[in-house]
Amino acid sequence: MIWLHDLNFFVKLALAFAVMVTAWLAPGWQAGIAFALLCVLLLWLLRVPGVAGYSKGAALLTAMVMASWLLNLTLQGIPLAAALPVAAAMAARLVATTAAFFFVMETSTPGAILAASSAARLPPLVTLVLSLTFGVIPMLRADFERIADAQRARGMEIDDVGLPSRLRFALARGVPLLVQAIRMAHAISFSLSLYGYDLTRKRTTWRQVGLMVEPRLMMRNKADAK
Amino acid sequence: MLDIDKLTLGFGGTPVLSEARLTLSRGQKLLVCGAAGSGKTSLLSVAAGLIPRLVTVPELSGTVTLDGQPLGSIDRQALFRRIGFIGQNLEDQLWDLSVEDIIAFPLENRGMAKAEIRARLKMLIDGFGLSALSGRRVLTLSGGERRLVAVAAALASGPDLLVMDEPTTGLDPAARRRLCSILDQAAQDVPSLLIADQDAVSLLPVVDRLALLHDGQLCAPQPPARCLENHAAWEEAGLLSPMRRRRLAPAGAIGRPLLAVSALITQLTRSVGDPVLNAVTFEIRTGEVVALIGRNGAGKTTLFKAMLGLTKAARGTITLDGAAADRWTVAARARKLAYVPQNMRHILFNMSAIGEVIFAITAATAHSNDPEVVAKARAALARYDLGHLEEANPFSLSVRQQALLGLACADAAGALVAIIDEPLLARDLRGRQLLERFIAAMRETGRAVMLISHDLELVDDLASRLMLLDEGRIAYDGPTDEGWRSQAFAKLGWSAPYASVPEETA
Repeated sequence: MIWLHDLNFFVKLALAFAVMVTAWLAPGWQAGIAFALLCVLLLWLLRVPGVAGYSKGAALLTAMVMASWLLNLTLQGIPLAAALPVAAAMAARLVATTAAFFFVMETSTPGAILAASSAARLPPLVTLVLSLTFGVIPMLRADFERIADAQRARGMEIDDVGLPSRLRFALARGVPLLVQAIRMAHAISFSLSLYGYDLTRKRTTWRQVGLMVEPRLMMRNKADAK
Repeated sequence: MLDIDKLTLGFGGTPVLSEARLTLSRGQKLLVCGAAGSGKTSLLSVAAGLIPRLVTVPELSGTVTLDGQPLGSIDRQALFRRIGFIGQNLEDQLWDLSVEDIIAFPLENRGMAKAEIRARLKMLIDGFGLSALSGRRVLTLSGGERRLVAVAAALASGPDLLVMDEPTTGLDPAARRRLCSILDQAAQDVPSLLIADQDAVSLLPVVDRLALLHDGQLCAPQPPARCLENHAAWEEAGLLSPMRRRRLAPAGAIGRPLLAVSALITQLTRSVGDPVLNAVTFEIRTGEVVALIGRNGAGKTTLFKAMLGLTKAARGTITLDGAAADRWTVAARARKLAYVPQNMRHILFNMSAIGEVIFAITAATAHSNDPEVVAKARAALARYDLGHLEEANPFSLSVRQQALLGLACADAAGALVAIIDEPLLARDLRGRQLLERFIAAMRETGRAVMLISHDLELVDDLASRLMLLDEGRIAYDGPTDEGWRSQAFAKLGWSAPYASVPEETA
């Protein structure tokens, strides 16, 4: 599904908002759950990168939302049978919403977002915020995996251990991840200064941008022939 | 054009540069050589306007002018349009954009019209031979490929002065020649060049002056040919003389096999569908120092990843210390194979230098109450000149100190085979001394070293055996000396090390 990566970022963003609105307007918990499951199923069918990890995260999110809402509603005196559909509906809305934005994040590179924003003549600050908001999370996730590989390559057993130890080791990656995030922020800021990113001047782009965004330089097209 | 006068720069304590002077005329191409920590990067950062514009330092005095205008008075956008900069650690200036995005980034930011950007992009991609990398995300490229992309990006906006810090890092000999050819072609567009590098010989075709940096001062620039012959000057600057005599690698006793790789084929394939490693077979025995060489992208990184289990093997076996390791986890293999990468930041994750060494010993924690473990960690740090940096955060160490920390960790971990990937500290005298100390320690304790490097002189100096990886296969495996005369080496089109100097016995 490579073409999904080339779809204009703003089209994907609009689709994500549409999914979110649909999820929140779903008439009843049964429809909400069905819609959320459909969203996750679509992620699998479209082979969105990192979908297995997302699914685990979504399961954890569902459990946490259900638990917190059930506790809250029970404390307010609402019977469990009445609280359960409310909690399930809320979890379904959140799963559908996160699935939609996970799709946008995983299929949009910072370069493609910069191109779409520049072609739309958005102010440079907005362009930057969009690129970083949607682009940095996959970069941080890649760093998280890289740190895990570094731990393995240094002899730390994080695979052949029980779930509690795995979770503890994953949490221990937080500090180096924070250091790496600071380094990444520094590298991006340095790069912006060095290559003349100017918040007072609107950018242009080398890419052909329409419904799709050109992924690589193709010189034999009409635009270049002119 | 560029004039630096009485530059003093320090990070607290003794200044790194002390009343240094540098004058670069329009059209001049100057190479600055100096030992690690001599202040090359600081000097270049000042020359490029990064210090103090983007990076502040505790101590800074002196004047820096560009065409007579103080750098501080030039508008930031104008300054970085006139001066292109490529740092040693490219991860500090590249982020997750595609090859085209990185090259076009400065042009897009300046609002250039699309057609113009595309024409310039095409010219640079063709000129640099980067077509095969088109559309790739730059952080997925090899170190050498990234460097060429960064050079293309720096040249995109046609700067008056190009400042490059260690540009040959990670480049194989052919890529170094290509870099020189590119810089030569760009000479008309970019009149002046300021480079800091420890590999003077590779850059000779593009520089017309060479200056040595030591004791915080820059010596008067000289024609490179005259400077290269002055062995005493290089040694005084703490560097290995580029025209030094050949010294044959010391032979040692070879013992039992520690690592055996047999018919290894990776699941990872190249774009044409061939496996990156195809039926790779070799053994490493106690006391050996084996060098692995090959073109950029030959599969050297994939080989050590496959040995560690970070890249999956489709077929083949790995034996460690006589035991089949194919089903071992990465961590279990890593306790036998210590990896010291070129960029140590990739494998550091503890919060102190001693924590890293303790982690290397325990493979579980950065803290230990066992006095024996702590003493062993302290001894390892002291052995590699890091005794005074026990509590320093590994990320705050210099590149050289991080490389030494890698050696300290590998030494203390007691792994059977240490894989050292492009040890950049090996070109200055002290760094070489510490690397040789590490290798000697490994040999004396019945272990072995695998050295991955593009520095053929280093390979010739230290390795008793040479392996050449080409197109996913071991194309040569045998004595180093014979390797330089082999057909496989001739096929690379590289010059053998010390081709023009006589040899002496160690």
